[in-house]
Amino acid sequence: MGKIKVKRKSTLIDMTAMSDVTVLLLTFFMLTSTFLQKEPTQVITPPSVSTTKVETSNVAQILVSTDPTGENTKVYISLLGEADPDFPEANEELGLYPGMWSTEELRKSVLTTASLRYKELTGRDPGITKFDVDKFAKIGTFGVPMMQMHEFLNMDQTAQDEFISNLANPQSGIPLRDIKKADGTITNEFQIWMIAIRDAGNPGLTEAMRKTGSGIAVKADRTAQFNKVNEVLENLRTIKLNKFTVMTALKTEND
Amino acid sequence: MAQIEQSDGGKKKKGAQKKMSIHVDFTPMVDMNMLLITFFMLCTTMIKSQTLSIALPAPPDENATQENSESVGESTALTLIIDTERDEAGNILTDEAGKTKDVIYYYSGFEPTIEKGVVTEHKLAAEHFVGNTMDGSRTVQNGIRKILHDRNSEVLDEIEKYKADWRAGKIDDIAFDTIARKIRNNADYKNRPQVTIKATERASWESVISALDEMQINQISQYRISKFTSNDSLIIADYKQQNGIQ
Repeated sequence: MGKIKVKRKSTLIDMTAMSDVTVLLLTFFMLTSTFLQKEPTQVITPPSVSTTKVETSNVAQILVSTDPTGENTKVYISLLGEADPDFPEANEELGLYPGMWSTEELRKSVLTTASLRYKELTGRDPGITKFDVDKFAKIGTFGVPMMQMHEFLNMDQTAQDEFISNLANPQSGIPLRDIKKADGTITNEFQIWMIAIRDAGNPGLTEAMRKTGSGIAVKADRTAQFNKVNEVLENLRTIKLNKFTVMTALKTEND
Repeated sequence: MAQIEQSDGGKKKKGAQKKMSIHVDFTPMVDMNMLLITFFMLCTTMIKSQTLSIALPAPPDENATQENSESVGESTALTLIIDTERDEAGNILTDEAGKTKDVIYYYSGFEPTIEKGVVTEHKLAAEHFVGNTMDGSRTVQNGIRKILHDRNSEVLDEIEKYKADWRAGKIDDIAFDTIARKIRNNADYKNRPQVTIKATERASWESVISALDEMQINQISQYRISKFTSNDSLIIADYKQQNGIQ
């Protein structure tokens, strides 16, 4: 009897087509999406019919975070987004070069200005070193009292995240406590920061903050008490940044 | 697909080497791509946040000699006071459908008269954010939107005329926006409401944004956010008393 020879079939599946598809998908995701920003607390923005998109560059985002009772209200500021593409035009004589106002450069300038101003107003030295400024340039969202800034910048990243995202931590968030100026008027650390950002030297951002208001985006949770958010808005109003935008999610008119 | 066939150049020699086919296995490549896709799907967002512009009145200037606040006429003034119901722990109460319980108290004209801490003029009324419903093919406004819509009907009717053209694509978005802005800022429409928005301490951020939205939906150009005063809380307390609400 002759044996029946079963022909061995190869079970190899050609993965080339599959690979093509996945590469296409990958390309799509890489081009269309933006990275989630790390935020100290999760915030769900309120829905609105407004369809204006948030600017991608030259935006100072203010995050207002509250717990249900409104007792622990924290304010954070983040300077995010891409470098201002339109500024500056290269001019070696004036020391201008493209990409000069990258977000990192902006942050460096902001911390330097803010800490100097704080020292000037309160007489206390926050002790920011050059090393601190470099570290600050890498941080997206910040929110600690100026006096804690040096300590905060010297923590490792995990400790930093824990430090600012803990709502019960009295050292987290930018304080809105009054600081009395020499001429009797009142300011606070939040105002110092916002003025420092406005005057950081990037004309694109300054314009967006002063004229159109698109340079300031206030982000607050939908459930937050209005009077807590309003405190921040009133502070902005005091320093003549009375035009701003608030972050919202999309809804339709019929909802 | 993934194999390369080595051709022998068309020559047929005796004892020519067997055709060799080289297979490249793409499975690891696919694995890696899948991992990358998963990473991008989890760590990125496609949704870009929307923003709503707000302009608060400029801070009072000590050097300014003249009052720059606009005068509000009694016939056009409308005040909204927004409140959100919360439990004792401060959590927002919702109804069965999961909607937050926002109440909008409103009155027309000037503030109700208060004599010695007692409200003598009961003109406050309350409404909710309801939105639109459809009655056949007609859109019907409900709740506070109906109040605002009726008050600003002059402007809205005028804009409605251009809306048909815009929907049909005869005029583009920018042109329509320009026309709409022109109409809602046109002082010839004498009955345009001047809305003052106030919010109680408990009011949620969402409810205030909803109120600002209503201004946009109803094409109201004159509105401002104002401070909630003790008089306002008196008026609300009076309203609740009058209507037997706890």
